[in-house]
Amino acid sequence: MTTPAAELIGVSQRFGSFTAVDAIDLQIPRGRLTTLLGPSGCGKTTTLRMLAGYSAPTSGRILIEGDDATRTPPEKRNLGMVFQSYALFPHLTVADNVAYGPKMRRVPAPERRLRANEALELVGLAHLADRKPKQLSGGQQQRVALARAIAIRPRLLLLDEPLSNLDARLRVQMRAEIRRIQSETGLTIVLVTHDQDEALEMSDEMVLMRSGKIVQSGAPRDVFPAPADRFVAEFLGYENFLALGDGRQAAVRPEHLRVVPLDTPADGAVALDAVVRDVAYRGVDLLVTLDATDATGAAVRLLADHRADTATGPTPSAGDRVRILAPEARLALLDPTPIPATPTEGIS
Amino acid sequence: MSQVLSQAGKRSLRLRHPVAGTLAVAGYVVMIVPILFVVATSFTAGSTLRFPPDGFSLRWFAEAAAYTPFVEALVSSLQLAVLATGLALLLGVPVTLAIHRGRIPGKELLEGLFLSPLVVPELVVGLALYQQLMIGLGLNNFSTLLLGHTALLLPYAVRVTGASLALADPALEEAARGLGASPLRAFVTVTLPMLRPGLISAGLLGFVTSFNNVPLSLLLQTRDFRTLPVTMLDYVQQSYDPMVAAASTIVLAATVVVAVVAERTVGFAKIFGGINR
Repeated sequence: MTTPAAELIGVSQRFGSFTAVDAIDLQIPRGRLTTLLGPSGCGKTTTLRMLAGYSAPTSGRILIEGDDATRTPPEKRNLGMVFQSYALFPHLTVADNVAYGPKMRRVPAPERRLRANEALELVGLAHLADRKPKQLSGGQQQRVALARAIAIRPRLLLLDEPLSNLDARLRVQMRAEIRRIQSETGLTIVLVTHDQDEALEMSDEMVLMRSGKIVQSGAPRDVFPAPADRFVAEFLGYENFLALGDGRQAAVRPEHLRVVPLDTPADGAVALDAVVRDVAYRGVDLLVTLDATDATGAAVRLLADHRADTATGPTPSAGDRVRILAPEARLALLDPTPIPATPTEGIS
Repeated sequence: MSQVLSQAGKRSLRLRHPVAGTLAVAGYVVMIVPILFVVATSFTAGSTLRFPPDGFSLRWFAEAAAYTPFVEALVSSLQLAVLATGLALLLGVPVTLAIHRGRIPGKELLEGLFLSPLVVPELVVGLALYQQLMIGLGLNNFSTLLLGHTALLLPYAVRVTGASLALADPALEEAARGLGASPLRAFVTVTLPMLRPGLISAGLLGFVTSFNNVPLSLLLQTRDFRTLPVTMLDYVQQSYDPMVAAASTIVLAATVVVAVVAERTVGFAKIFGGINR
């Protein structure tokens, strides 16, 4: 087994009485893209900053390529960091920004220019080398920040919410762009995000965090259909939570609930009778809000996506009494332990 | 951009608030017109300080430039202003960095302490320095003046460079560190360039404040070392001729040149806003 690119062993970070990161163990596999995913305040950015060396853990150890780096200052870690604000040096040109890292490493000037150019080629901005950062658009600045981090040939590339300042369309483009850069360079990437779609689309490995702890990790294909608990399920967009009557709890996504006429046979699916509360038109589908009673007799509010082109039966409208079918295969069974209160917002 | 905005601002001030606009114009008139009288009388060919001037000549400029006490005092003033400004920046910049970036308790108290010379009457400071340093410790008057002026300029150094620093993204330094710069190199290659407009403005403001200071310089003067404003004040008390007006005009012209150079190189908006743009 190869050494992981980085490893956190029992790492905690406390600010006064607030525990931002609580004794986490984490391995970052080489050559893969790992995302730290969670709501604000979950400790993901604090974790990244400890990995980068900008804040020392209160306890625990950090290994980078097998070597203890817990107390190593950031300039000796050789990690490329892309900040949420990009943090481009405003007084330097794009080329000088990208060449800054090699310059600090005393790479001779001609070689430096070559490397900067190479990194800018990789992000497709070699033609803007002589501009100042403020003459670039947000998306271009983002690419320069990436090129600058790559130009030091880092052991890991750390991205802190890299896409959060871009507009929706550009954000989707950049996801693919970062994946392309990763596959071309073979870099190990750690990306922090609060956007589950981003994490699902980009990750080889996703790590879900809450209240300073890791709640679930794994490949998106493994995590998404099987959220460990209600928190993860809610975070991944499961809107419906049902008690199954035998002590089990299940989560179902709105697109997997079928709204059918009352007399439709259950056919092995979990069936609930419900009243349509509201129907919202959303173009590709209708979002149907329903009131139902689950197997334990508790009232539940359900959301169902009703696609007119694939659904059978009449289009639901408010006040209708209907039947809801949740296919067994679509139920994600949850760990029934109740969720502790969410931590204070602020530090993420 | 900011000039256009401020001009538009003035125009709308006059249109929408006629009273405020009129007062502003009156304020400028009250400040500027007496200065114009001094400038006009300095070009007189006569030998009395009178308006309108008798004819036109540059003779009083020649006399002022040849008058040894003025020339010596000018040199003294320049020495004092340059050294005091340099010292204030040397002390003030680390203090600013500590206040804005450091993890120290009681930041507000520290900042208040460094801004306090702005509120303590200069005459009191002057008298205290005279008693303690010159009489008590036996320091010579140049060292005492230098200390006094440095203290006087510290608030500008701390405040103005602080404004620049507050606007700079703290992630810039972190980015530099991550790219392999030691804390010192990160400071020199990234933070210092960010501070440049603030340093220039603090320097100019400090220089002008020291150069024009009267209360401290008056209390701490000796026969061997006195500044230009104090020497001119002395001179006016004894003889009231156009040479003082000529000297004033020269000082005014130099100030205008400094201001124009500052505007051309950095821009007033940047200097006084301390904005990194």
